[in-house]
Amino acid sequence: MTSGVIEIEGLRKTFHSVRRGRRVAVDGFDLLVEAGQVHGFLGPNGSGKTTTLRALLGLVRADDGRMRVLGANAPEQLPQVSGRVGAIVESPQFFGNFTGYRTLRLLALAGGVPVNRVDEVLEEVGLADRGDERVKGYSLGMKQRLAVASALLKRPELLILDEPANGLDPAGIREMRDLVRALAANGVTVLISSHILAEIQLICDHVTIISQGRRVATGPVAEVLSGFDDNEHLVRVDDLARAEELLRTAGLTVAGHPDHLVVSGVPDPTTVSRTLGEQGIWVRELTPLRPDLESVFLELTGTPTHPAVPRQVDGWAPDQSADGQEIDLGMRGVDA
Amino acid sequence: MNLIRAEVERLGARRFVQLMIVLLMLAFGVTAATTLAGSHQPTAAELAKAQQQATANLRNMELQHARCLARDRGEPFPGDRNFYLPQDCSELDPALRDRLPVAADYLTGVFTFTRQAEPLLYFLVAYLVLFGFLVGASYIGADLNSGGVVNLLLWRPRRLTVLGAKLGTLLGAVLTVSVLASLTYLVTFWAIAQIAGYPGPTNGAFWAELGAIWGRGLILVLLASAVGFAIATIGRHTAAALGAVAAYLVVWELGGRIVLEILDAARPDQLMLASYVGAWLTGEISFWDSSACRTVTDGYCTGSYTLTWQTSLAVLGLLTAGLSAAAFALFRRRDLI
Repeated sequence: MTSGVIEIEGLRKTFHSVRRGRRVAVDGFDLLVEAGQVHGFLGPNGSGKTTTLRALLGLVRADDGRMRVLGANAPEQLPQVSGRVGAIVESPQFFGNFTGYRTLRLLALAGGVPVNRVDEVLEEVGLADRGDERVKGYSLGMKQRLAVASALLKRPELLILDEPANGLDPAGIREMRDLVRALAANGVTVLISSHILAEIQLICDHVTIISQGRRVATGPVAEVLSGFDDNEHLVRVDDLARAEELLRTAGLTVAGHPDHLVVSGVPDPTTVSRTLGEQGIWVRELTPLRPDLESVFLELTGTPTHPAVPRQVDGWAPDQSADGQEIDLGMRGVDA
Repeated sequence: MNLIRAEVERLGARRFVQLMIVLLMLAFGVTAATTLAGSHQPTAAELAKAQQQATANLRNMELQHARCLARDRGEPFPGDRNFYLPQDCSELDPALRDRLPVAADYLTGVFTFTRQAEPLLYFLVAYLVLFGFLVGASYIGADLNSGGVVNLLLWRPRRLTVLGAKLGTLLGAVLTVSVLASLTYLVTFWAIAQIAGYPGPTNGAFWAELGAIWGRGLILVLLASAVGFAIATIGRHTAAALGAVAAYLVVWELGGRIVLEILDAARPDQLMLASYVGAWLTGEISFWDSSACRTVTDGYCTGSYTLTWQTSLAVLGLLTAGLSAAAFALFRRRDLI
């Protein structure tokens, strides 16, 4: 039995609109974030990320499903744990004519947080020098930092960040990354939703991918990526045509390119060098081609015409189909 | 308590609130300055002459009443026989008049507090009603629209508490501003009357009447604030409140009234909120009842009906309570996206 900081099981939410009709935003979504994780939450636009986070935080009423945050049922028992949860949801807006300091001070007052904490968080997010300026003069990145500062005011045990890198320049993204790492090092559990996949890969140790309102992958980042590793290698030799023929003869799958070959299904790269070397072809380059999060993400979410198929790569040991795809969405290991 | 403190600070820091208070002070200053400039303290001779005119007028009223009573008794009465006398002599009875002529009525170029206090107070109440409605609507409307409420709910995930704190803060702040503004306003004009005008004959009844209007005016301001807040909450925008009121005024108070008159409906004023607002502020208000005289074929018909402040309080209170309850019920269940 696993106890998570965030547990979502079978979450469903459908929006009804006179103009747009019925739209299923989240369709039986499951999520488990355990203590100490920096958990990436990925999905294309409209896949249900923000709806999930809003439902978790009590801003949207779920139609069905079970949610727990720090052991409290959400949204009913959220007030019991809200002091331990910092969150920003989708580019929060602030009153333009309030200063950054005043914005945070009002939140601190409302939340019963000592006001001297405001200066500390402004320092943490790099806005100490700009705190007395009006928010309407802030850049998008500065507003984003202010939002993060508001989430940090409470010294949260759990930090939920929805697109925290939106509008940040490369330096800002790097600062955000360092900040999240520092928080994680101090034991804060972080759930980040983001479109910047390279960042997620750099920051997060776990990831959950959502598509069409359903989970399509979850687990440690390395395991998610390894699930999509076809053991491909890039091969450069002088005689590409002969090398391709030799490798095919050896039973390997080869794709020819103008200046290199891509060999698939090679768990041991010495197979390539030995096969070619024995025939007097010397390998100039033999590079493993590892999948990155972006390619995995696109593969998992880039098939909108088919129902999303969950893929199990974590340790919850669901039933496996013949191709290794998750066929049971049950939240095994989650406290039921 | 911390939430209330934060909301008070947030409300006070809003530009719109500050602008409305500046406009209030500006209107107040202009009114006081023009009053001061256009008034002078009456001389003893002016007062004596005005007193004579008032006495003469009162005597004339008593004379006409006596003439009317004499006609009813069939007794001769000296003087002009062609003078119009109503069937019911009580219409001429000075003792039954709302007020009798006083010297202040005959002073020209003199600001008289007892004559001007009521209209001045009505003006202030009208402004404060507008102030309360607009501030109430924009306070929650802007917060809902800008994501301020969402930010707050991330901190205090108790929707009814948060909305209740906002409404309570609004009503408390509007009441404080209204009390301070109206007291300052009346004291200033009382001082102008003392320095450069004429206070007039004040007695317990005058102050009681003025106090009643003031109290009812403050309650009306609070009701307007709550209505603005509630409609903006239901519609999620400040503009929803403004649009709803504009639509109500045009469609019902104007269009509906015309249609009801065309249909010759009985007592159309009874169906208009403006009638209840007027009755609440003034204490009571009488309307002509055309249906009451339909069956009267001869003689004089005085068909009218009266709306009292008690009825008005019930109507306006129920409306405000209904809108507020709807706003809270919707906000409790609404998806904040």
